[in-house]
Amino acid sequence: MSESPATTRTAMIEMIKVGKEFPPNVTALADISVSIASGEMFFLIGRSGAGKTTLLKLLCNMERPSNGLIEVAGMNIHQVTGNKLAKLRQKVGVAYQDFRLLTDRTVAENIAISMEVSYKKPQIIRARVRSLLAQLQLEDKHDMLTGDLSRGEQQRVALARAVANSPALILVDEPTGNLDATSTAQVMELLARCSNSGATIVIATHDEALYRHSSNRVMKLHNGKLDSLTRGDEL
Amino acid sequence: MNFWLSVIRQTGRNLRQTWATQFMTCLTVSLSVLMFSFFYLIYINILSAGNKVSDDLRLIVYLDEEPGPQLQEQLRLKITQFDQVQEVKFISKAEAYSRFTEQLGDNRDVLTDMPTDFLPASIEVVPLKNLRSLNQVKLFAEYLATIPGSQKVQYGQKWVERFYYFTQLLSIVVLLSGTLLILTATFMVASTIRLTIFGRQEELELLKLVGATNNYIRTPFLLEGIFQGLMGSFLGLTALYTLFQWTTGHFSGAGFLDLFTFTFFPSEIIVTIVLLSIILCTAGSYTSMQKFLRI
Ligand SMILES: Nc1ncnc2c1ncn2[C@@H]1O[C@H](COP(=O)(O)OP(=O)(O)OP(=O)(O)O)[C@@H](O)[C@H]1O
Ligand SMILES: [Mg+2]
Repeated sequence: MSESPATTRTAMIEMIKVGKEFPPNVTALADISVSIASGEMFFLIGRSGAGKTTLLKLLCNMERPSNGLIEVAGMNIHQVTGNKLAKLRQKVGVAYQDFRLLTDRTVAENIAISMEVSYKKPQIIRARVRSLLAQLQLEDKHDMLTGDLSRGEQQRVALARAVANSPALILVDEPTGNLDATSTAQVMELLARCSNSGATIVIATHDEALYRHSSNRVMKLHNGKLDSLTRGDEL
Repeated sequence: MNFWLSVIRQTGRNLRQTWATQFMTCLTVSLSVLMFSFFYLIYINILSAGNKVSDDLRLIVYLDEEPGPQLQEQLRLKITQFDQVQEVKFISKAEAYSRFTEQLGDNRDVLTDMPTDFLPASIEVVPLKNLRSLNQVKLFAEYLATIPGSQKVQYGQKWVERFYYFTQLLSIVVLLSGTLLILTATFMVASTIRLTIFGRQEELELLKLVGATNNYIRTPFLLEGIFQGLMGSFLGLTALYTLFQWTTGHFSGAGFLDLFTFTFFPSEIIVTIVLLSIILCTAGSYTSMQKFLRI
């Protein structure tokens, strides 16, 4: 191995020749190798169907890779099971493209779930929920059922749930698809704050504005293959 | 601490969301507990009544001849071969005569012309004071009839036989209602939990994704089972106790209940019934989880 111990220690995500096939013969991802450093904000772009969501699902262990190796925080996540897997998932916050909100529960309850599973104290949970809702300008939606919210509001609640437990890795799938410019800016501010406190963030997006003028790395997928990997401001 | 807080909150939410089904399950469990404990209560009361009645139970074997001391020993051996007994007492013709005169009291002069040995000698066998000997008394009597020199065996035939069949029947009813209790408790709870699991599939899926441990997901379902068992047995036993109070209140002083004092379960049995239904309901919820909660 040519890698020095220092790089392995600071890599949050290590993907080596990862591929994913769906039966009967869809190749969603092929031969992806990338290393994402701890604390990095990393963008994932590509046309619809390029494989962005599939890659994120592999990273949070919702799908298993057909081939290749994925390590998160130094662990091969597809070999971890039981309580260890649960502990790992508590450290990974995911905002799904389809939100996965519990539509018959209130906004506050939805956000609280990710903290309840790691047994945070109720008063800490309440305070955190209020602060997140304030940052996303959703204070007045605290007790509404998420099923009654607009798409854009649901999207922000899903994001709030993903970051609530202060995870070390945040995976965000299309966070601004339904949002206006102001709300988009608030979402990016929230993510920037998470990044500043040390979280590694992977964002799948179609919105060029999010990475255009940043020095963050951007990986472009095309038909499941790595198309390019450059800094945002170099694109 | 926080684990239990979260889990209990989760359980409360489950119960609230599916309260109608939960209520029906609880009702079914308590009805089965009521039915079982009702028959069981009657059974144990009959048993203790049987014990009291068997205080007076004795078999009398009338003999052809008055046995000498050696023969008495042999007879005693033969009798105890069948079963342990409390007492074997030989009554000679003379003793029988003197007992009889005592019983006659002031009218004893009717016997003046009779020979003092006109009454047969007999053996009085007092079986052990338990229900087994009460139930076996018929067999015992048949056995005693076969010992040499026996002429006739006497005991409260009709009464004892009826009692025997009644307790037999009752024990079958107790067993049946016990089986019913086991079936309803486990199956009803299992099916309620299955419904809850299916109804909350989406949430359980999400809980897994955000890193809930197995225990976090499963414990609320087990608590639900414990709760059902506790509530079901509590309601069932309370209903039985109310019924018991009402019955004894209304019929005290009337002849039939004076025969034996009707008592409620001792606390050990109450605790056992409650624990048993908790265990059964929890087992029901556990089997459903094993089948339908893929983690
Ligand atoms: N469960 C599945 N079964 C079969 N094919 C799938 C499955 N999931 C994804 N695919 C296919 O894999 C490819 C990549 O899908 P993916 O959802 O990763 O795209 P995406 O880049 O997220 O697109 P979008 O920008 O529209 O969200 C698509 O062609 C899709 O049809
Ligand atoms: Mg997608």
